[in-house]
Amino acid sequence: MTSERFPAETTKVRRRGSSSRRGSWLILAGAAAVTALVAGCSAGSTPTLPTVAPPSTSSAPPASTPPARPGCSDDNTTRVESYDPSTVTTGPALERIKRAGKLKVGVSADNLLFGYRNPIKGTLEGFDIDMVNEVAKTIFGSAQGRVQYVVENFAQRIPDLQAGRVDLVADIMTINCIRWNQIAFSAEYFHAGQQILVRRNSYNSIKQMNGKKVCTGAGSTGFDNLVKNYKQVQRVVVNDISDCMVLFQQGAVEGVISDNTVVQGFAAQDPYAVVLPDLLSPEPYGLGINKKDVDLVRFVNNLLEQMRADGDWQRIHDKWVRSDKNGQPQPVYGRALP
Amino acid sequence: MAATAPPAQTAPAGPPAQSAPAGPEVAHPPHTWQVVTGAVRAAFAGTPGRLRLAGIVTVVAGLVFGLFAFVAASTRAGALSNARADAAQLVRVQTIRTKLVSADASLTNAFLVGGLEPPAARAAYQAGITAASKTLADASGDNTHDAVVLAEVNDVVTRYTGLVESARANNRLGYPLGAAYLRQATDLLRTDALPPLGDLGTSVQHRVDNAYSSSANATAWLVIGLVIALIALIAVQVWLAGRMRRVFNLPLVLATAVVLVVGIVLAGVMAWSQSKAKSTRDGAYFATLELATARIDAFDAKSAESLTLIARGQGQAYDASFDNLSANVGAILDDAGKNGDNEYAARQAFIAYTTVHKNIRALDGKGNWDEAVALATNNAKDGANARFGTFDAASGKALDQSSGQLRHNLSSARSPLLAFAWIALIAGVAAAVAAGLGVSTRLREYR
Repeated sequence: MTSERFPAETTKVRRRGSSSRRGSWLILAGAAAVTALVAGCSAGSTPTLPTVAPPSTSSAPPASTPPARPGCSDDNTTRVESYDPSTVTTGPALERIKRAGKLKVGVSADNLLFGYRNPIKGTLEGFDIDMVNEVAKTIFGSAQGRVQYVVENFAQRIPDLQAGRVDLVADIMTINCIRWNQIAFSAEYFHAGQQILVRRNSYNSIKQMNGKKVCTGAGSTGFDNLVKNYKQVQRVVVNDISDCMVLFQQGAVEGVISDNTVVQGFAAQDPYAVVLPDLLSPEPYGLGINKKDVDLVRFVNNLLEQMRADGDWQRIHDKWVRSDKNGQPQPVYGRALP
Repeated sequence: MAATAPPAQTAPAGPPAQSAPAGPEVAHPPHTWQVVTGAVRAAFAGTPGRLRLAGIVTVVAGLVFGLFAFVAASTRAGALSNARADAAQLVRVQTIRTKLVSADASLTNAFLVGGLEPPAARAAYQAGITAASKTLADASGDNTHDAVVLAEVNDVVTRYTGLVESARANNRLGYPLGAAYLRQATDLLRTDALPPLGDLGTSVQHRVDNAYSSSANATAWLVIGLVIALIALIAVQVWLAGRMRRVFNLPLVLATAVVLVVGIVLAGVMAWSQSKAKSTRDGAYFATLELATARIDAFDAKSAESLTLIARGQGQAYDASFDNLSANVGAILDDAGKNGDNEYAARQAFIAYTTVHKNIRALDGKGNWDEAVALATNNAKDGANARFGTFDAASGKALDQSSGQLRHNLSSARSPLLAFAWIALIAGVAAAVAAGLGVSTRLREYR
C-alpha cells in the first residue's frame, strides 16, 4: 500500500545491487581448479558463536547425509542430470497441487536478489520468486493467490520437501549428488558460484584467512566447502544466512562465504563490503522437488524449456542479475526414472 | 518513718545468716575481685540486701519489657517497611519486563506492516523503551545486588535499541538486511534481558517472603519480654507480700499493670498489623504479581503472533509459545476477573483479542498469509491491535490500582507500630521507675 510513495527507493535498491555487482560474475572456468587447490589443511574448529536462532528445529548436520549415489559425480554433468521434460500436465503431484488450489513453495526472505521480503512493500520478490510464479501460472493459469510461501533457512529446505510441507523449493538450491539421494531437482535454471565477502581493503583471497572467522549458513554448500577445503578457517555457523551479514557488520566475523547470488546481494546493502573475485566452487541451481513427485519435475523441466523459447527466463534474469554473463544453463536430461 | 520496722525481722535466719559475718573481714589484703565480690555480697546480705536485689530485679524487668517490646514493634515496622520497599521493587522489575515486551510487540507488529512503520507503533515502541529505561534507573538505587543485574539489563537494552535502529535504517533503505537485525534484536531481548529480569523478580519475591517471616518472628520478642517482666514483677510482689504486712505495694502493682496493659495493647496492635500485612499479601500483593505476569505474558504472546507471521510458515515454535502464554493469561484473568471492573474488562478484552488471533491463525493456516497479516496489523476498532489495546488499558489500570493498594496497605499496617514501639519503651522505663520506687520504699521502711 505504501509502494507508490517510494518508487525511487525501490529502484535504488536494484541499481545499487547491480552496480556493486559489476565485474564479479565471472565465468566459472577455473572453479574446478580452485576447489582442487585447497585440500589437505589441518583440522579447523567450529566456534559456537551467537547462533542467532529463532526457535527453529532443523539444522541438518552434514555428517548424517547419505553418500552420493554411484554413477553421479559432482565433478561432471551427471550431477545436474534431471528427468526428461514432459508436456503431460497430469500426474499425482500435479493433481494434488491442483486439488489444494495452492502451490506450496519454500523460499528465502532475506536474499536480496533471489528471494527477499521487500521491506517497503512487504512482499516477496526476487529471481526465485519469479520462477515460482511461472510454475504457478502454468499450473493454475494465473499465479495470483495460488502460491503459499513458506520462508525457510537453508537447513530447512530438504526436511520440508521430504515431509511434504512444501511442493517446491525455489531458494538458490545447489544441485549435487548427495542431495539427489534425498530429493529430486529440476534441470539447472541458474549457474552460480561460491564467493567470499570481506571488508573493503582487507583480504584479497580466502587463502589469507586461515585462523580468521568466516560465517556461513547451516546446511549450505558454503558450509560443506569450508569443512572440506578450508579447514584452517574458523567457521561461524548461523541458521539464517543474513545473520552472517549482521555479524559481519558488527565485526564479529571477517568474511561471509556463500553463493555469489547471496553475497552480491549483501554487498549491495553495504558499501564497505566487497566480494572477492575468486570463485570457490560451481553452484548449479535447481528447483527442489520431492523425490516421489517425478511428474512435477518433468512438468517443470518442460516449463524451463518453454521459458527459454519465449524469453521469459531471460526477462527474469535481466530483471535481477543483468550483469551475470552466464545465460540459461544448458539442461542435461536422461536421468533414469525411479 | 523508719520506726515501724518489725522486730520479727531478725527471725528468718536463712542462708543469708552465714554471710552476715562477712562484714568484719577487713584484715586480709584485699584483691580487687575480692573487694568487689565482698561489696556485692555485703550489698545483698540480709533482708535489706534481698530487698535491694528485688528492687533491681523489678527495675530490670520493667526495662526488659520496654526494650523487648520496642525491639518487637520496631522489628515488625522495619520488616514491613522492607516488605513494602521490596514489593515496590518487584513491581518496578515487572514493569521493566512489561515495558520491554510491549515495546518489542509494537516493533514486531510494525515490521509486519512493512514499509515505514506506522507512527503510532513507533511511538508505542519508544514509549515502552523510555518507560523501561526510566524504571531501570529508579529500580537501580534500591539494592546493590539488584543494581548489578539491572546494569546488565540496561546494557542489553542499549544493544537492543541499537539493533532496532540498525533494522530501521536498513528498512528505510529498502534493504532486507533490516529483517535480520530485527530478528537479532528480538532474540537478544528474549535471551539476555528477559531471563535475568525474571530471575531478579524471583529473588525480590524471596526478599518479600523473608521480610514477612522476620515480621512474623518479631512477636517472639514481645512475648519473651512480657513474660519475663510479668514473672519477675509478680514473683517479687509475692515474695514481698510474704515478708511484709501489706499485701499490695502500689507502685509495683502499677508497674505490673502498665506492663500488662501496654503489653496486651501492643500485642493487639502488632497482631492487627501482621494480619493486615498478611491479608495484603494474600490480596493486593498476589493480585499485583498475577496481573503483572498476565501483562508480560500477553505482550509476549502478541509478539509471538507477529513473529509467527514474520517466520512465514516456519513459525510453529512461536505459535506454540503463543498458545502457552495466552493460556496462562486466560487462567490468571479468569481468577482476577472477579476482583474488580478493570480486571473483568481486561479479561473480556483479552478473550475478544484471542478470537481475532484464532482468525489470524486460520487464515495463515489456509495459506492466506496476506490476509492474516492484514488482520494482525489492523488498527480498526475490532482489529487485533485495538482489542489488544483495550486489554492493555484495562489490565494496566487494574495493575496500577492493586499495586497502589499494596503500597497503601503495607504503609498503614506499619504506620502505628513505631509510635507504639516508643510508647512501650517509655512504659517499660516508667514501670521500672515505679517498681524501683516501690521496692525502695520498703527498703527505707526497713532501716
